[in-house]
Amino acid sequence: VPGFAAGGSGIDGDVSIMAASISGYTFSSVCFHSANSNSDHEGFLLGEVRQEETVSISDTQISTAELLQVVEIHNHDPCAQLFSFYDYAGKVNEDNLNRILKDRRKSVIGWYRFRRNTQQQMSFREQIIHKQLTQLLGVPDLVFLLFSFISTANSSTHALEYVLFRPNRRYNQRITLTIPNLGNTSQQEYKVSSVPNTSLNYAKVIKEHGAEFFDKDGVMKDIRTIFQVYSALQDKVQAVCGEVEQSERVKEKIQEDVNKLKQQIALRKRKTAEEERRLREAQNAESHPTSEENSEPSETSLLSRVAFHAPSAPERPGTSPNPPSYSDLLSQEDSLLSSSSSPTSAALLPRPQAVGSPGHPTPGPLGMGLGLSLGLGSDSLDRQAAGQEDDDDDDDDDDDDDEDSSEYENLVSEAAHLPMVSASVLAQGRPAALSPDGDARGSQTS
Amino acid sequence: ILYCGFYLWKMNNMSPEVALHRISPELRPLLCSVVRNGRVGLDSTNCLRVTDLKTGCTSLTPGPCCDRFKLHIPYAGETLKWDIIFNARYPELPPDFIFGEDAEFLPEPSELPHLVQWDAGDPECLLQLVKELIQQYHQYQCQRLRESSRLLFEYDSLLEDPNYGRNMEIYAGRKNSWVGDRIVLVCPSFISIMSSLSQDTALDPGEDVALLSVSFEDAEATQVFPKLYLSPSIEHALGGSSALHIPAFPSGGCLIDYVPQVCQLLTNKVQYVIQGYHKRREYIAAFLSHFGMGVVEYDAEGFTKLTLLLMWKDFCFLVHVDLPLYFPRDQPTLTFQSVYHFTNSGQLYSQVQKSYPYSPRWDGNEMAKRAKAYFKSFIPQFQEGAFANGKL
Repeated sequence: VPGFAAGGSGIDGDVSIMAASISGYTFSSVCFHSANSNSDHEGFLLGEVRQEETVSISDTQISTAELLQVVEIHNHDPCAQLFSFYDYAGKVNEDNLNRILKDRRKSVIGWYRFRRNTQQQMSFREQIIHKQLTQLLGVPDLVFLLFSFISTANSSTHALEYVLFRPNRRYNQRITLTIPNLGNTSQQEYKVSSVPNTSLNYAKVIKEHGAEFFDKDGVMKDIRTIFQVYSALQDKVQAVCGEVEQSERVKEKIQEDVNKLKQQIALRKRKTAEEERRLREAQNAESHPTSEENSEPSETSLLSRVAFHAPSAPERPGTSPNPPSYSDLLSQEDSLLSSSSSPTSAALLPRPQAVGSPGHPTPGPLGMGLGLSLGLGSDSLDRQAAGQEDDDDDDDDDDDDDEDSSEYENLVSEAAHLPMVSASVLAQGRPAALSPDGDARGSQTS
Repeated sequence: ILYCGFYLWKMNNMSPEVALHRISPELRPLLCSVVRNGRVGLDSTNCLRVTDLKTGCTSLTPGPCCDRFKLHIPYAGETLKWDIIFNARYPELPPDFIFGEDAEFLPEPSELPHLVQWDAGDPECLLQLVKELIQQYHQYQCQRLRESSRLLFEYDSLLEDPNYGRNMEIYAGRKNSWVGDRIVLVCPSFISIMSSLSQDTALDPGEDVALLSVSFEDAEATQVFPKLYLSPSIEHALGGSSALHIPAFPSGGCLIDYVPQVCQLLTNKVQYVIQGYHKRREYIAAFLSHFGMGVVEYDAEGFTKLTLLLMWKDFCFLVHVDLPLYFPRDQPTLTFQSVYHFTNSGQLYSQVQKSYPYSPRWDGNEMAKRAKAYFKSFIPQFQEGAFANGKL
């Protein structure tokens, strides 16, 4: 039922904006009737008018209420002929009007006319009729939809133009008429308009087949099913979370044990090495030093890595003759890191090395671990250099590493011994330095 | 800036026959009477014009089926462009109208008897309806004048004068355009003159018109533009657009004073022209009687020309007499022409004499006599000149 706010102000004083829409099928139906008529054509527009109030609140806290009148055209009622409800003078005959509209009279919100090749302006008779219809139907803001069909002289182009008027207002008489889903839908979604579907057939079919889609509460069955699936998935996920937590804890425990064992091993090995060294020192004055560089590279490399507990960045592969692959490095580091509280991602990355640095893994058998295994000759120099380099790096790591600082100091002190050894070695074994590797490094004496 | 002058009406440039040919056959008689015989308003020289013929039928309908068009109606110095909409399929139905820019003009149907009692069988019906609409439009303009009281005062005062009565068109100007309020009326005393003029100078009172248009650009009447509209034949008869000047509208003056002034001026001019006509006729008559067989030919309608063939001492010569419009004020031009001698360009040797003894106060007879005397005195000179400068 078309209606307006009770006690609303006069039409002219009302500053509400009007928005109008017409359903696509009604629009096309009107066009169809119009285009097929061989003269001017007219009819009534049925629908609903409602008022929407938008309250907008801005930062200034002043709320403004905007009154929007929404006109929705649901249907139309074409007149079979011209002058069917008015006479030559343009006087509307109420009986004829009722006969045409019957019980649809109360949902009339406007009327329309179609005329070819004329201006988009209300004509003399249309204005007279509109005034009377406004009065008779009791619709203060009755709208008038004017269709015009413009054809070019050679009939090559035809344009259907339509303008919606609200002639009872003094200003802003033309309103934009929107047709939902007619236009550029590539940027918009397909809109469902609020225009109800008034087709009886449609209602019947939906009622018949509705039970297949809707449950007793009127909710679509699919929705329930999907929700059930969702719930099931959620449960599973929760369960898995628990399991993961448990396994993680077990893994942590085991890792701790492993670390402890490793420490013990390292300690034992160090002691053994110290003893051996003392023995060797005793023999060093007379016998050639035996090169043990190849004996335990992997061990030393392992030890060196153990010495560098996480979270510090691990040492370069250093001068090991068989530098471990990067993946090996990572896997070892992972095990090292698991015991730590907060491993940083940076800790997982090997420190970048410049090519040609003494720390860079050299291709020959000269690569050595830290100065724990003492090959003599020129190798010792390399070791020394390496050791010193490593020491520098060690020093950096010292800050992060409380547990193993003592071991670092040991290593440093070990390296400090080297110069003395090398000097004596050099004094004696220069020619020998050349033999094992054939390299001219021996000339690099300090 | 006040300017006064003449403006010619433009002639109808759309041939009515073309329009009728495209109109749907049932509607043709209605349009025919509008276009061919239609005279609405004061200006009877300007016919109603029809343009923009379109059809309300589908484009597949075979022609001719045009049933809607634009009608151009002269009114108060403006041209109204109204759309008239019929339906070719239902020719018995009355038309609808769109009043162009006058969107607020909404006549009361009860004041339009030819609409209420529309009879498509009567070919005059549309024309009558248009006339009724014009009447309503006139009232509408008067209504609009209520807003500016100046012109309304003028209008009302003129209305009371029996000389002008209802023969006026009012146009209330628009605020946004440069068109001011305007009043157009027929110069009343002109009507009586027209009939006398027509007897003598073959002017058709039905076709010819003299309208005075006065535009008020502002409410204080400080910018008032009067214009005199004359139909072409009248204008020509009065000596062209340059000859007639109307006085400027006195600032602060009233139409009721001004209009008679203008009309008087016009009347005087016309009378002068009539007088001149009579004088010329008299002149020619006198010459005819004096020179008898010597007259070769003369203008028997306007009495503006006369040619004589005369002989003096075996010397034959022609005299062409051209009588100016404002004869006898202006003296006639005499052109002497030798019948024997040619100039270098192949024309007959001639001499023009514009000043010779003459007085406007002489009557025709006297002028003829004096002319004869002048010829005698001048001819020897002319003869010498002809022999000297011309070739045989």
